[in-house]
Formats: sequence, structure tokens, C-alpha cells
Amino acid sequence: MSMEPVVQTRSLVKRYDGELALAGVDLEVAPGEIFGLVGPNGAGKTTMMRILATLLAPTAGQATVCGVDVDVDPVEVRRRIGYMPDFYGVYDDLRTWEYLDFFARCYGVPPSRRRGMIGELLEIVGLSDKRDAYVESLSRGMRQRLCLAHTLVHDPQLLILDEPASGLDPRARVEVREIMRTLRDMGKTVLVSSHILPELGELCTSVGIIDHGRMVRAGRIDEIERSLRASALLRIDVVSDAAEAISWLGTDPRAGDVMEVGGADGVSRLELPYDGGPDEQADLLRRMVEAGHRVAGFSQATSGLEEIFLQVTGMQEDSAA
Amino acid sequence: MSAEVMASPARRSAVREMASTVATIMAKEVRSRFRGRRAFVVLTLYLGVLALIAYGAYAVEAPVAREAARFGGGEFGAIGVPNASARVGQAIFTVLSLFQLLLACLIAPALTAGAISLEREKQTLDMLIATPMRPAGLVIGKLLSAMAFVILILLAGIPISAMVLMYGGASVDDILRQQVVLFTSAIGCGVVGLFYSALIKRTQTATVLTYATLIALGIGTLLLFRLWTSLLTNDPRNTFGEVRRAPEWILYANPAVAMTEVLANTELEYGDFSELLDTLRARSGVFPGVPVEGPGNGIDDGPFFPPVAPPDRPADQAPELVSDHFWPRISITVTGIALLLTLLSTRLLGPVGRRPWAIRRRPAPRGTNP
Repeated sequence: MSMEPVVQTRSLVKRYDGELALAGVDLEVAPGEIFGLVGPNGAGKTTMMRILATLLAPTAGQATVCGVDVDVDPVEVRRRIGYMPDFYGVYDDLRTWEYLDFFARCYGVPPSRRRGMIGELLEIVGLSDKRDAYVESLSRGMRQRLCLAHTLVHDPQLLILDEPASGLDPRARVEVREIMRTLRDMGKTVLVSSHILPELGELCTSVGIIDHGRMVRAGRIDEIERSLRASALLRIDVVSDAAEAISWLGTDPRAGDVMEVGGADGVSRLELPYDGGPDEQADLLRRMVEAGHRVAGFSQATSGLEEIFLQVTGMQEDSAA
Repeated sequence: MSAEVMASPARRSAVREMASTVATIMAKEVRSRFRGRRAFVVLTLYLGVLALIAYGAYAVEAPVAREAARFGGGEFGAIGVPNASARVGQAIFTVLSLFQLLLACLIAPALTAGAISLEREKQTLDMLIATPMRPAGLVIGKLLSAMAFVILILLAGIPISAMVLMYGGASVDDILRQQVVLFTSAIGCGVVGLFYSALIKRTQTATVLTYATLIALGIGTLLLFRLWTSLLTNDPRNTFGEVRRAPEWILYANPAVAMTEVLANTELEYGDFSELLDTLRARSGVFPGVPVEGPGNGIDDGPFFPPVAPPDRPADQAPELVSDHFWPRISITVTGIALLLTLLSTRLLGPVGRRPWAIRRRPAPRGTNP
């Protein structure tokens, strides 16, 4: 397999009636990756995915899928991707196998391959026993899986799944996650979006955090975590005089602004960004204790990735409240 | 290999691709539309109603015609048995034509006005557009599958119309004309619905706009013609007060006018449809048996009808018995509008944000790097 990126965008811009939905996004997804696009609602995830699925024309910038420009040859791009929109309907009056057969025809799958392929797909999404059932009779979770199956009828290189687990109960979510794992094992490249990180965290090989039409951070998960490990938000509970501890911490060149975020029963909770990895943090704790501060708790406030995500989405929650 | 040699197989495969898209869409639509017994029952009922209407026309017209055959019902005494029979046939032909035209124009848009907007409302359209199918194939497939039922009822109605041949009064030519007008009208009305369905997000709005447009075309153009004509005629500069007609192209998208002409052609005497047609067009023809003022016809006590022949017509030219003026023009115009709207609908299904009328960049042939 060539290592040419499956998805590549260069300063992609989309403007709706003067409003900027994407403000110059660069994105690169390598073959075989499960790329999680994370961000609050309205961040531009769906716009991004619709451009890649050739449903929207970009205002400026360039987007290529498997080396094909979405603006130049959308039909060729469509042949190489499977797309599942964030909101979608199904044809109620068809049977499950007819539904998949219809999309297989839409993608020009020859009749000889259709029959066996439909059986395989129903197997993958666990709907084999619903083959002859009307789509109307399927539960929401089953429809979601059926819709996932339809993205696979033409064995595409790339899957674009917009919020595949939204609106599902926990059990159905687990099922969708299982299917995603199967897709990963099949070697598909997947671009998947979610507005909640934990949903994707363990599944993805890479993530991009998008907010207000900008890519805030993107890269392989292990790389991001390594870079994040170099700095952290520390949470320190002190029993002694808080003001004294704050001023002492303020003299540390690695420490950022210290904030007292609460406390009870004579224990004060302090939070500070700390520019240092585990070594430096252990060092800080030792020096603090040696300086006579009575430390009752010392921990990282959140994991690094979640921290960034919460910073990004936190603003959104605030404005929504 | 030169570009010309390359182009031919590519084009053939585009045609095949298009045909397969149309077939795919139709297979799915027909599967859900014609599932069960509903379509069968509706078709049977429709043909029953059509036969009943034909019988109704017979029941009303036959006694009158029989009377006329014996004692004279026209202006010129008894009309004879063949003419009486033709009169019955003509009456049946008239009701059948009008009924089928009305129904086709009402049903076709009802089936197409939701064809695309319903997909949009049910949120299935995105997934459909995201497939490599050609939008043109999608639009035509949608149109044909929505129209399949209308086409079916029109085809099934032909034998009933052909029953008229038994009575006379309408010839095979008349039935051909009738069918051309019926099919082009049905498809034209259907395409208007399809266009609004592609243009407007909501089916309800699309349906309302479709019928509003069809009413404007069917009735509005006639009213406009009437108003324009009377303004021109009553103009103070029109010193002699002769009738000055509005430009007739106003009527070229009006299937009702086409059918009026088809029906006027079957009239044995100067009847309602002929009269209506004459108000729309100064015809250079007259009807058989109708006396006309002119040199050499021996009638000088004044015409029964006001002269309709333009004065510049050479006297020796045979009068036009059959009028083939409006219906071919209207059929061609309606077909042209249908093609244009189909093309626009196709463009409306392209990626959002690109102007539908913009010319799309052609992908560079593969393997040729600039």
C-alpha cells in the first residue's frame, strides 16, 4: 500500500452566506488510520465531511481523496468512499437485503458479486437474521448498523462516518464500536466524527480537534499524548496556608498562574499548568514537601487529550448555558 | 492514441452508465410503489371509470343522434345514419380526451412533486447523491418511475379511446394526435413537479408551486390572451374595430389549447371547440357543409358564420379541413420545456454551493500530467 495520504486538505475554507464554517483547515489522513474528528457541535466537522463526500463545494482551498481532487472529479471520489451522514433516513418500504442491493447497484457492483456481498455485510453488522425484514421494522440501532453496512457495498478505501454513534443507547454504541474495530481490522481508512471524545478515544489511531472551523490540534494519538505529557494541569491539595503555597509555587519558573479552585475542612485545592513531564512533577512534589508545605494530594487534573478537548468544548457549554 | 479515438468508448460507457442508473432507480421505486395490490386495484378502477364515462357519453348522445338521423337535428335536415354514428363517436372521443388530459395533468405532478423533496425530507438524498450515479440518470430514473403509473394508465386507456373507431367521428389520425398531446402533457406536468421537487426543500411547498404553475399555464395563459386581445381590439387607434389577437405564442405551453384543436378537428359541424379555436386563431380553413362567402360558391345571401378566411388567401386554395397548427407547436414547446427543466433539476442535485448553471470543470484524462 502506498503511503500517499488517503485524505488531504490544504487550507480548506467554506463560507455559508458570509459565515465562516471552515477557516483554512489542513488535514492529512494516512492509509489504514482511524481518524477521529472531534469538536463541539457547529465546529465544522460535518462541513468538512460533506466536502470530502463531494456534497458541498469548498469556497477555497483544496481537498483530495486518494489523490483525486473533490472539485475536479467528484464521481471518481464517490467511487472510493463510503459515506454515512450525521442525520439520515432509510427506505422504510424495502427489505433489508433490497436496501443493500439498491445501494450496491447505485455503486455499480456487478450482479454476480452482489448476493454474496450482501450476506457478508449483514454478517459484519449482525443483521443476518433480519435479511428479509422490512427496514421499517428495524430498531434505531439496527438501522444505524444497516446504514453503516451500506457504506461498504463497493468495498471503498475510505469511510466517512459522521457521528455514527449519536443518539444510540449504550448497548448499541458498543455494537457500533465493535463494527468500527472490524473495519479497522479489514484495513479500511476511516474518518469518523464525534462531539464527545471518550466515544472515540480508544478506537482511533489519530485525532483532530476542530473548533470554530479551525484545526486546534491534530496528529497520531500517541504523539499527541507524548507532547502533552511534557506539560500538564496539576492539582495540589495543601493543608497548610494556601497563600503561602501559592506564592512559593509562583517562584517556580515551570509553573503557570496558580489558581485556588476550592477546598474544605482546611484543605485548599490549587490548580496550575505545569511545564514539565513526570520527572519534573515528582521533583516539584519533593521540593514542596521539603519546603515545609503539607501536601495532601498531588495529581494531574485530567489526561492531556481530554484537557484540550474540554478547553475547546467548555467554551461552547458555557455559551449554551 | 488520439483523443477522438478515446472519446467514443468513453461516451458509450457514459450512456450505459446512465441507463444502468435509470434502471437502478426505477427498480427500487417500482419495487416500493407497485408492491402489493394497490396499483392493480387503482388501474382497474380507473379503467372502469373511463369505460363508464364513455358509456355515459354514448347514453346521452345516442338518442339525440338517432333523432337527428331521422328527422334532422342540424340546420340542414336529417343527417343520416353514418353521420349520427360519427356524432356518437365524436362525443365519446371528446369526453375521454378531456377526462384523460385532466387526470394526467393532475396525477403526474402529484407523483413527481415529492420525488426528490421526499428523499430530502426523509434524509435519504445525501446518501444517494454521494454514490457515483450521474445526477441526470437519477433525475430521469425518478421521473420515469414516478410517471410509470401515469404512462400505464394512459396506455391502458388507448383501447378505450380506440373504441371510437367503431362509431366513426374520430379517425386513427385523431387518436394519434390525442395520444401525442396526452403523453407530452403528462410528461410536461410531471417534469414541472420534478423540477420544483429538486428546487424546493419541502414537498408541500413544491406541490403548491407545481399546481400554481400548471394553473398559470393552463388557465392563466388563456386569460392573458383574452385580456391582451381585448386591449388590442378596443384600442382607440383600432379605427375599424376589427379583432386584433394577442401573439399566439402565449398559448404554446398550454396543453388545453392543443387538445381543443385535436377535438375541433373531429367536430362534424362548427361546434364549441371549433369556436374556441377560432377565437384563438384566425383560421384559413372552414368546415365541411358550412357555407362561406366567397367567389364561386354560389351563396350570396351572407355567410352563416362570419368569414374566417383571411382576405389574402388565394381563392383557388382548398380550404383547410383539419387544423394542425397548435398541437404540434405546443407538443414541441412542452417537450422543450420538459427537457430544460430536467437539465436544471440535474444541476440542482450537484454539490451545494456551486451555482447550478455554472459550467463544471472537466476532469483531466487520467495519465496525462500537465
